[in-house]
Amino acid sequence: MPTVDGDRTLHVLDTGAVLAEAGLTPDGTILAVHGNPTWSYLWRSVATATVAAARSGAGPVWRVVAPDQLDMGFSERLAHDRLPRPSAAGAAPLRDDAGYRTLGGRIADLDALVTTLGLDAAARSGQRLITLGHDWGGVVSLGWAGRNQDLVTAAITLNTAVHQDPAEPIPAPLRAALAGPLLPGSTVITDAFLKVTTSLGNPPLDPGVRGAYHLPYRSADRRGGIGGFVADIPVGPGHGSHAELQRVANDLASFRKPALILWGPKDPVFLDRYLADLLERLPQADLHRFETAGHLLTEDADVAGVVLRWAQHALQPAAVPAPSGPGSPGGKGTDHRPLWSFLDAWRDEPTTALVDMAGSSRPPVSWSRLAGVVDAMAVGLVRLGVRPGDRISMMVTPGLDLTAALYASLRIGAVVVVADAGLGIAGMTRAVRAARPDWVIGMAPGLTVARAQGWPGRRISVSTLPAPLAAALGAEDSLYRMAAAHAGQRYADGAAGPVHEPAPQDPAAILYTSGSTGPAKGVMYTHGRLSALAGLLRDVFDVRPGSSLLAGFAPFALLGPAIGATSITPDMSVTRPATLTATAVAEAAEAGQATILFASPAALRNVVATADRLSAAQRAVLGRIDLVLSAGAPVHPRLMAQVARIFPAAGIHSPYGMTEALLLADIDRPAIEQLAAPSGGSGQDGVCVGRPVGPVRIAIAPLLEDGSAADELLEGQGATGVLGEVVVSAPHQKAGYDRLWLTDALSRRDTVDGLQWHRTQDVGHLDGEGRLWIEGRLQHVVTTPAGPVAPGGPEARIDALDAVLRSAIVGVGPQGTQAVVAVVEVSDGPDRIRPGLAPTHLAAAVRQAAAPVPVAAVLVTDRVPVDIRHNSKIDRSRLARWADGVLAGGRVGTP
Amino acid sequence: MSRRVLVTGASGLLGAGVARRLVAAGDDVVTLQRRPSGVAAARDVTGSVTDPGAVAAAMAGRDTVVHVAAKVSVSGPAAQYEAVNVGGTGTVLEAARRAGVHRVVHLSSPSVAHAGTSIVGAGAGPADPERARGHYARTKALGELLALAADAPDFRVLVLRPHLMWGPGDTQLTERIVERSRSGRVPLLGPAAALVDTLYTDNAVDAVVAAVDAVDRVHGEALVVTNGEPRPIGELIRGLAVAGGAPEPRLRLPAGLARAAGAVIERVWDAGGLGADGDEPPLTAFLAEQLSTAHWFDQRRTRQVLDWEPAVSVDEGLRLLAAYYRRP
Repeated sequence: MPTVDGDRTLHVLDTGAVLAEAGLTPDGTILAVHGNPTWSYLWRSVATATVAAARSGAGPVWRVVAPDQLDMGFSERLAHDRLPRPSAAGAAPLRDDAGYRTLGGRIADLDALVTTLGLDAAARSGQRLITLGHDWGGVVSLGWAGRNQDLVTAAITLNTAVHQDPAEPIPAPLRAALAGPLLPGSTVITDAFLKVTTSLGNPPLDPGVRGAYHLPYRSADRRGGIGGFVADIPVGPGHGSHAELQRVANDLASFRKPALILWGPKDPVFLDRYLADLLERLPQADLHRFETAGHLLTEDADVAGVVLRWAQHALQPAAVPAPSGPGSPGGKGTDHRPLWSFLDAWRDEPTTALVDMAGSSRPPVSWSRLAGVVDAMAVGLVRLGVRPGDRISMMVTPGLDLTAALYASLRIGAVVVVADAGLGIAGMTRAVRAARPDWVIGMAPGLTVARAQGWPGRRISVSTLPAPLAAALGAEDSLYRMAAAHAGQRYADGAAGPVHEPAPQDPAAILYTSGSTGPAKGVMYTHGRLSALAGLLRDVFDVRPGSSLLAGFAPFALLGPAIGATSITPDMSVTRPATLTATAVAEAAEAGQATILFASPAALRNVVATADRLSAAQRAVLGRIDLVLSAGAPVHPRLMAQVARIFPAAGIHSPYGMTEALLLADIDRPAIEQLAAPSGGSGQDGVCVGRPVGPVRIAIAPLLEDGSAADELLEGQGATGVLGEVVVSAPHQKAGYDRLWLTDALSRRDTVDGLQWHRTQDVGHLDGEGRLWIEGRLQHVVTTPAGPVAPGGPEARIDALDAVLRSAIVGVGPQGTQAVVAVVEVSDGPDRIRPGLAPTHLAAAVRQAAAPVPVAAVLVTDRVPVDIRHNSKIDRSRLARWADGVLAGGRVGTP
Repeated sequence: MSRRVLVTGASGLLGAGVARRLVAAGDDVVTLQRRPSGVAAARDVTGSVTDPGAVAAAMAGRDTVVHVAAKVSVSGPAAQYEAVNVGGTGTVLEAARRAGVHRVVHLSSPSVAHAGTSIVGAGAGPADPERARGHYARTKALGELLALAADAPDFRVLVLRPHLMWGPGDTQLTERIVERSRSGRVPLLGPAAALVDTLYTDNAVDAVVAAVDAVDRVHGEALVVTNGEPRPIGELIRGLAVAGGAPEPRLRLPAGLARAAGAVIERVWDAGGLGADGDEPPLTAFLAEQLSTAHWFDQRRTRQVLDWEPAVSVDEGLRLLAAYYRRP
C-alpha cells in the first residue's frame, strides 16, 4: 500500500476469506490495531469468535481486519540508520529522520490500509465499521476514528491513554524504558521490553502463547519498531508527537458515535487515571472493567465475547442498555418523594431522629438538629467544590456521622459510594479504584488507608483533625467544621448558591456487593429507586413515621430518615455482625424507644447467645419491640424460636433480597415453622423465602443441561416446580452495575412486558402457592450427566442430620458430566473425625439424605468456608477446587 | 434374526456371561478358549487365540465376533502379553475377515489411553501404546489400534473399554481384595479419596450385548464403560472387603511410598519368575497408581451409542456381592 515513504507491505489478519468460503457476507468490519510490542496475534480470539458467531448464524456477520503495524509483527521492516530516540517538537510529522514512524505516520498508515482494502468505500455504502485498539494501537485507532466519524459506526478501545497530564508522573515501568540512553538497550538491542510485556498475563501466559508473541521479534534487527514506538511516546510538550497526541485527544472529545472501553485494572502502565481521562472525553462510552485482568486483557478475559455482544448492541442503538448510567427511575414519577422530605418537613421537631450508641454514648439527636446538620454540611460541601454527580466515597462507620454526611451528599446531588469494611482493605481498594470517587469522606483511620493505598479523590475528614495530621492525610476540610461554620444556613434557600434538585433518574448511590462470589460489584441506585425502597419498607413492614428502627444491618441502618423513622445504631463492629450482644440491643432499644429490630442471622445468633446477661429491666425493654427483621441470609426455625423468646411481643420476619434489590420477598415465623414441621411435609428443595412483596415480580429462567439459565422467563402456574434462575423486576431494584457493562447487560437482558428485570444468579423454584424457594447460586449448580443439580436441596437435607453442622454440595469434573460431592463439617462428637474421606456410616447417612441426588464422595473438613459479611454464604467455588484436588488423589489439607 | 456369534475368552467371567446372554437371546453361539467354557447350548472350541488353526475353525460360518480373550494381569514378562493381546487379536481379525464376519466387538481397557495422571470425567481418547504403562496396557493399546484399523463399512468394529470390573466370581479385582483383606494385606493409599469408576460384572455383560446390537449403527470408535458412579477408592475397597466378609482394611501407606515400593516388588517378581499362575505380587506400581489417582470417565457418549444404562448400582452390587460370599 502507498505510504508516506513509498509502497509498503503489511501483514494483515483478515477473516474476509474465511467468511467468503463459508458463503457469508459481512455486515461490517472490526478494524483492530495492536499496540507495542505485540502484533495481530493479540486479536486471534476476536477473529475466531466472530467467525464462529457468523457460522452459527446468530447475529451480524463481522469481518475482522487486524494489521501488523509497519516495522512490527510480520509486516515490512523499515530501514533505520541509527537506534531510536525521542524526537523534539517541530520534527517531521509522519516519520523521523531515521525513518521511525511517529504517531501521525501510524494514523496515516492505518488510513492507507483502510483505503487499500476498500473499507472506506464499504462504509460509505452502508457497511458497519468498528475500530478496536489496544495500548498505543488504541491511540492510533481512536485517532483515526476521531477524524473519520463519517465512516465509523462505533469505537472500542482496550487499555490505552490519549493524554498525559503534565502534573502526573509517567508510569514507572515506562520511565525506565524511556530513560534516554537505556531506551535502545531495553527495546531493540535486547528483548527486555518485550519480555516484560508478555510477563503481564493474569494468570501468566502459557509458554506457547508467550512464544508466539515473541515470534516476530527474535533479533535486534526485527525490533527497531519496538524501540521506535517507545521513543515516540509523547512524554511532554517538548516531544515531537505531543502536538499529534493532543490532536487525537481533542478529536476524541468531539466523537459522537457509540464507544466501549474495556479495561484491565492490573496494568502497571495504563493506570486508572488514564481511564478517567478517556471517560471524560467519551462521556457516552460504555465501560467494562475486568477486575482480575491486566495489560494483556485479551489473554486474561473474554474480550471477544464482550466485543461481539456490544457490537450487536451498537447496531441497534435502542437496545443498548444504559451502561453505568442511571436507567429508568423507580416507581411512577408522581409518587416520588425526595429522600430528605422528612428532614425538611420536621426541621422544627424536637422528637428523636437518631440515636448513635457507638463508642461513648451520645445524646439522642432530634429531627431539628439532624436537619440542621445535614443542611450545614450540604452548604459546606458545595462551598468546598462538590458538584452534582460528583462521587463521594464514604469511609465512615454507621451512626450519626454517616447518616448526616450521606443525606447532605444526596441533597446536593452527589453520588455516595459505600463499600463496607467487610471487604477488607484489598477489596475496598479495588472497589474504590473502580468507582473512582471525586471525594473521600473519612475518619482518620479511613483516610490513612486511603492515603496508604493511593485512592483517588480529594479528602474530607469527619471531625476536624489537627493541622499536621490533616496535612499528612490530605484532608482539605472537615464535616464538623462545616456543621459549625454553616449552622443555621439552609441549602434550599441558596446558602451555597444555585440550588440543584436531584431528579428521580439521577444517580444517588453506589453500593458494593459483599464479593462472596468474585470481586465486589458496584450497584447503582437512583434517587427514584431509593425512594421506592423507602416507600416499600413503609408499606410492607408498616415502618411509619414514629416507628423506631434499631438496625444492625448496614443498608437499612441508613434509611431511617428517608422513612421518617427514628434510627438507632447499636454498639457493634459493623464488619462483624456477630459482635452484636443482647445487652447492646437492649441499651440501644431503651435509648431510642425501639419498635423494630433489623439484624442478620449471624447477629441474632449472638444476641441469643448473650441473652442470659440481660437484666429484668432490659428484658422488659425488648418486650416492647414489635417487629424483628432478619435479613441477609435465611434464618433457621430453631434460631427464630430462640429469638422469639427474647422478643415475645414481636412478629419475626425473614425478608429476602440482595444488594441489587434489597427487598424482594418475605416470610414470617409461623410460615417457616409450618414448613419445617415434620407434618408440614413440604417436600420442596431449598429454603423458602416467602412470597414477593409489594410490586415485586418474580420469574424463573429454567436451568439448561449445561447449568446455564434459559432466555425464557416463566411466571405463575407455568413456573411451578421448575428449577431455574430467579429473575426479578421491581421499582426499587438497582438502576445498573457501575462500570461493568457486560455484567450489567447480562443481568438486565430480559425485556418481558417492557420492564427492567434483574437476573439474580440465585437458583430456586416457585411452589404451587407462589412461594419462592432458594436452592443456591447459579455458578454453583452441578452439571451431572442426569441434568443440573442445585446445591440447596440436598444441603438442607444433609444439614438436618445430627452428625452434620454444615454441608456443601459441589461438583468435580468437566461440565455436563460432573460428579456430585458432599463436603460436611461435622458436629462435635466423642470421636474426632479426621478431615478427608468420611467414615462408612457417615458417608451412608449423607448419601441417603441427599437422595435422589447421587453423591459420588463424602468429604469431611474442619470448616466449611463462609463469607465475612453474612457468615452464611458458603464459598462453594473454593470447596469445589479443594474437593477436586483431594478426589484426584491429592493431599487433604484445608479448603 | 438370529446372529452367528463367536465369543473368545468365554472361560472368563465376562466372556461366559456374554455367551450365555447371547444364547438366551436366540443367537447361535460358538466359544473359543483354552478350557471348556461351561456355557450350555454354545459350541465350545478349545484352543488359544494365538493358534490360527483353532481360530479359523471357530470362526467358520460366523457373522459376528466378540473378542474378549486377553492376557490380563499387572505383572509378568512382555512376550506373553504381546503374543495374546497383539498377536491373538491380529489372528482373530484376520480370520474374521476371511470368514465374512461383518460385526466385531473388541474388548479393550481404559488404561490404553492414559498414563499415570489423573483422569477426571474424561472421554475415551485414542489408544497410545507409547504412553501406556505396563505390558498389559501397552499390548492392549496395540490390539485396539489393530482392531480399529480394520474397521470398514462392511467390517464394523466397536471397541469397549470396561473399567475395573468387580462382582461375584470376579477373580481379577474382587477376589484379590477380599483375599488380601482377610489376611490384612490391602493397604489404603494416602487419603484413599481418589475418585474411581468401576463396573459391576452384570452391567459389563449387558453393555457388551448392547454393543453387539449397537455395532450395526455405530462403529469405528472406542467407548469406556463404567457404572457411571465414581466413588473414592478407599470406600470401594472397604465395600468390597466388607462384602467379602473381611474386616475393613486399616493399614495406610502414603501414596508416593506405595508407588515406589510397588515398583520394586514388581521388578523382583518379574526377574525371579515368582509370578507363577494365580499368584500375583501384592502391590505393583501400576496398581498403586490406579489406586491413588482419580480414574473416572464421561459416560454420556457410551450410553448414547450403546443405548444402555447400568441396571445394577454400586450399592446394589455390593449387596449382591455380600450375598454371594455368604452363600453356603
